[in-house]
Amino acid sequence: MMKRVTYLFLGVLIAACTSIDCPVESNVATLYQVCNSDGTELTLTDSITVTTKTAEDSDTIIFNKGVGISSFSLPISYKHPEDVLVFSFDNENNKNLHVTDTVWIKKEDYPHFESVDCSASFFHNITDVRYTRNYIDSIVIKNPSVTYDSKTVHFYFYPKSSN
Amino acid sequence: MTLRRFISTSILRAAISIVVLSASVPASAQKFFAFQKDSVPTFRGFAVSFDLVGAGLMAFSDNGQYEGALRINLHDEWFPIVELGLGRADHNDDVTYIHYKTSAPYFRIGIDKNLLKEKHGPYRLYGGLRYAFTSYKVDIARQDFPDPVWKWNTGFGIKDAQCNYHWIEAVVGVDAKIAGPVHLGWSIRYKRRISHSEDGEFGNTWYVPGFGKFGDTRLGGTFNVIIDI
Repeated sequence: MMKRVTYLFLGVLIAACTSIDCPVESNVATLYQVCNSDGTELTLTDSITVTTKTAEDSDTIIFNKGVGISSFSLPISYKHPEDVLVFSFDNENNKNLHVTDTVWIKKEDYPHFESVDCSASFFHNITDVRYTRNYIDSIVIKNPSVTYDSKTVHFYFYPKSSN
Repeated sequence: MTLRRFISTSILRAAISIVVLSASVPASAQKFFAFQKDSVPTFRGFAVSFDLVGAGLMAFSDNGQYEGALRINLHDEWFPIVELGLGRADHNDDVTYIHYKTSAPYFRIGIDKNLLKEKHGPYRLYGGLRYAFTSYKVDIARQDFPDPVWKWNTGFGIKDAQCNYHWIEAVVGVDAKIAGPVHLGWSIRYKRRISHSEDGEFGNTWYVPGFGKFGDTRLGGTFNVIIDI
């Protein structure tokens, strides 16, 4: 009996291996859904590029020349109260279209911890969105909570119907 | 409030289950819960014990626990037990640069049954259950690092976040008399979280005093020095 118990103990020790359980999807980003004014999904025929200004005061592209898209994903800053994004819309076949809009996204940031083995990350709560209205008709917050969930739509993006 | 209701519901369900079970179990199973009939008295004294595995972890790694227990011996068959400990972690990760710190007491309460036929011999084989609880605070921090897109320096810190943790353990252990009142024994434990809360919803905690590292493994073990008193 005692011999069996010893074997059981050794078996359990061998089985008690460690593992690292970090989330497979560890990217935290915002998802925009392009919509018609009636709320149906719309595919943009004009190309869209999004830039932002970094701490070094240089412009960096965060979304490059998306064409024929009905949704797109943009990064969100770790810990800055407001992100400023410049959207450029271009189309050579549409009267050489080149229009820009600026979007300001206000948010609250909070640290998120999974394990010491996983990289530090931040989740966010979007509190407000403002925008210029050259190409954009409106942007509506659909879901303010930004987490690892890459399937959740955070913004409904309505372009002007006259574009 | 939700947590309290959950715990109350769990305890109520467990109590009803035990009552229903005890009313419906056949005579052979009822015999399992009864004491053997012999001339040995029911109350056989107390024993105190100290866990060397947790103390070893505390001495040679960045997390571990000091743990002692008080056990009542009822007829060498049933052993109600209270385990008290102090769990501590102070970990710096070399890859993610995250620093995790906590230190808090915990307790477990439960009962063991001697599963050997020869109850009054020098050896015992235990099977048992524990309910455990700890209330603890964690500090999680990382040195400033740049945002990958915007390049702003970003601090990551959670300070004095209040957490609590309830769990149960299934225990299998052995115990052997060495000399006089001194016994040595070990146990292996399967741990299962039943409820938890973290202040501020910052995610998960990594090391829980008494439970160990969450998500690592559900198994744990002790090696005990036991003294009959």
